[in-house]
Amino acid sequence: MKHLSERLLVVGFVSSTFLIALLFFILPHHRFSELENRYLQAAPQLTWDNLISKKFAEETESFITDHFPFRDKWLWVKSTSEQARLQQENNGIYQGKDGYLFEKFLEPDYKKVQRYAESVNQFASNHPTVKMTFMLAPTSIGIYPERLPWLAPSYSQKKVNQFIEESMQNDLNFMNGINILEQHATEPVYYRTDHHWTTFGAYLAYVAYAEQQGWQPFSLKDFSIKTVSNSFLGSYHTRSQFTGLTPDTIQTYTPLNPVHTEMYIADTDQTVTSMYDESFLAKKDQYSYFLGGVHALMKLTTALDPQQIAQEKLLVIKDSYAHNVLPFLTNHVPEIHVIDLRFYNGDIGVYLSENDIKDVLFLFNTATFVEDAALLKLN
Amino acid sequence: MSLLFYAWGEPVYIIIMLVSTLTDYCFGLLLDKPNQTSVKRKGIVVCSVIVNLLLLSYFKYADFLIQNINALIGSNIPLTELPLPIGISFYTFQSMSYIIDVYRGTAKAQRNWIDFGTYVALFPQLVAGPIVKYSTIAEQLKQRTENMKMFAEGVRRFTIGLAKKVLLANNIGLLWDTISSSNPASMPVLTAWLGIIAFAFQIYFDFSGYSDMAIGLGLMFGFRFNENFNKPYIAQSITDFWRRWHISLSSWFREYVYIPLGGNRRGLAIQTRNILIVWMLTGFWHGASWNFILWGLYFGVILIFEKWWGLALLQRAPRWIRHLYAIILILIGWVLFAFDKPSLIVGYLGAMWGFNGQALWDNETMYFFYTNAVLLIVLVTFSLPLKQRSRLSITHLAWYGFLYLLSVAYLVDATFNPFLYFRF
Repeated sequence: MKHLSERLLVVGFVSSTFLIALLFFILPHHRFSELENRYLQAAPQLTWDNLISKKFAEETESFITDHFPFRDKWLWVKSTSEQARLQQENNGIYQGKDGYLFEKFLEPDYKKVQRYAESVNQFASNHPTVKMTFMLAPTSIGIYPERLPWLAPSYSQKKVNQFIEESMQNDLNFMNGINILEQHATEPVYYRTDHHWTTFGAYLAYVAYAEQQGWQPFSLKDFSIKTVSNSFLGSYHTRSQFTGLTPDTIQTYTPLNPVHTEMYIADTDQTVTSMYDESFLAKKDQYSYFLGGVHALMKLTTALDPQQIAQEKLLVIKDSYAHNVLPFLTNHVPEIHVIDLRFYNGDIGVYLSENDIKDVLFLFNTATFVEDAALLKLN
Repeated sequence: MSLLFYAWGEPVYIIIMLVSTLTDYCFGLLLDKPNQTSVKRKGIVVCSVIVNLLLLSYFKYADFLIQNINALIGSNIPLTELPLPIGISFYTFQSMSYIIDVYRGTAKAQRNWIDFGTYVALFPQLVAGPIVKYSTIAEQLKQRTENMKMFAEGVRRFTIGLAKKVLLANNIGLLWDTISSSNPASMPVLTAWLGIIAFAFQIYFDFSGYSDMAIGLGLMFGFRFNENFNKPYIAQSITDFWRRWHISLSSWFREYVYIPLGGNRRGLAIQTRNILIVWMLTGFWHGASWNFILWGLYFGVILIFEKWWGLALLQRAPRWIRHLYAIILILIGWVLFAFDKPSLIVGYLGAMWGFNGQALWDNETMYFFYTNAVLLIVLVTFSLPLKQRSRLSITHLAWYGFLYLLSVAYLVDATFNPFLYFRF
């Protein structure tokens, strides 16, 4: 008996090792992982330089883990056993209640936050003739704290937003997203598996902005609401790989009298005729359906009836939270310029005067803002 | 095979290892020449030790020295910024043990250069020990026996080591990462203790996991290495702890430094001096930074205290007091080991004793505790002596299979998997 089990052990160990190696070579290798939304390591090139610089060894190791036979099954095993041992987080993502995932939000570095806020302030006082509005949206953890795992530590976004508001009160209109969204906390304002707000959340932001600017937004019944995807497992899922989640749905709000918008993307010098890029609905990162993802500089031109125009021009300086808000704004503003500071390196002041812009909307979420050193590029 | 493994991780530095191996091979032959005068023999040993220590110093300690000189006299010597060659602390120590053993006549010089190269670069233990003394393995190099029984034992050992590293150490390490990166000024007492306990488990399961894998691989290839750990956290005193922790290193220092310095045979004063020297070196061996020297000296002082009258005092205390005493001192030691900034060491120790004025615990402590409770129970269980069963039953077998598969799953998931004892 003793010998038998020893033999079984050795045979099992050796054969499973060889079997995995064999499968690794036989099974087809994919270039892109939809599950993780990234390109997998390609087969490494054996050259003298690669060998000496360790690149060959490093790439081979990633190549093996990336193309490990039945990789997604192994990931499932890990994620399941983590859940079994009561671990509530993976890679900085909490597994909350009601199928919600949350990104951990810790106390920010207030010195940095102050500098970013002052940079925005400075920009506002440098351009006194331009009307500036700053909208700071919380992320889902700021609105749904009761959905966090039991006792899970989380820093209050309310405090952070308050701090930022106090740091930039003079020359601009500050809109605290918490005040806008809190009263709708029972409704699906955020995706469960992604870090963005839903189109409904974006709608609420749009209404608040319109009221702040003093014009009349459309009401919900002016839109035809359509579900374009119900298979969206977003960035929180990508990072955490938690299993057993219900995918989110993505909706579009099309006005009953649709307008026609042309979107010029300066990065690639392209003009497209739709603000929605269908191709992303077949990929992992479906949120890029809105505006086709992140671009440094865009210009949205819409042919509007004169009585529909609320303001002539608008510059939106933003993170990706703006992507599903912008389609609402095109119903009222014929010329919208959109800048993402993380990728745009031109002088914003010059841009304002060259394009004769009198209105600026800053739109950020708290988690991006406290980490966004690109804000220092404003001045 | 061993060299291939090394070249994989260190394509350039393999030359250093070859140089070190070759010189010691030649020195060994020289020592063994008949009619060699004792002065010459001594000279050869000194040369060999100097070559090895120079190699080690240049790659491991040069930057530390330069930084301190710069800080002391305000000079501006540029740092070498060389990455540390894998395993250099281990193979230089092994090489030295060989030369000294040959010099003392406890071992014969190895004439076969392949056997000698195998000894120095033996790949299973190259990265993280155990440090194998030449005398323990000389016979095995000549005549290895590879059989099914040993191979099976090796597989079991390897699987256990892998599981310790991948399932236990890496996961409790995440808790330590979270706690150690938060500000000690606002840390509740129990969070600080939980954090350093997590670190203690992480470093033990990480290091002993590597040792187990090395011993297991050794067995598969027909080598039997000495044990490196023996349930260190059940120690009843610090003296006891160091007989159970990283045994191959402590016995190296005992044999090649402490005893040659006179050990305990030349009076209490000399013994005290020797203990301090050995423990300062032990600390320094762990890394080129002041906190490691402090860590070594800390244990040196405790060991002296225990030698003088501490152990006698402890004998009279009940078992659980002795155990508590050892654990608390070990944990304080890990704080010195874990942080290299004095302000962090002081801050963290302060948090452990509530000097920062924080509460005993908060919600976060509870969260850390319950999300890691299952893991902590497993960690405690495997730190205790378990009944060794030599018989391998079918249920046992299933467990090994399960551990192996689960470890693979965690490995496949890991995009980042650093080895803790990287400063060696």
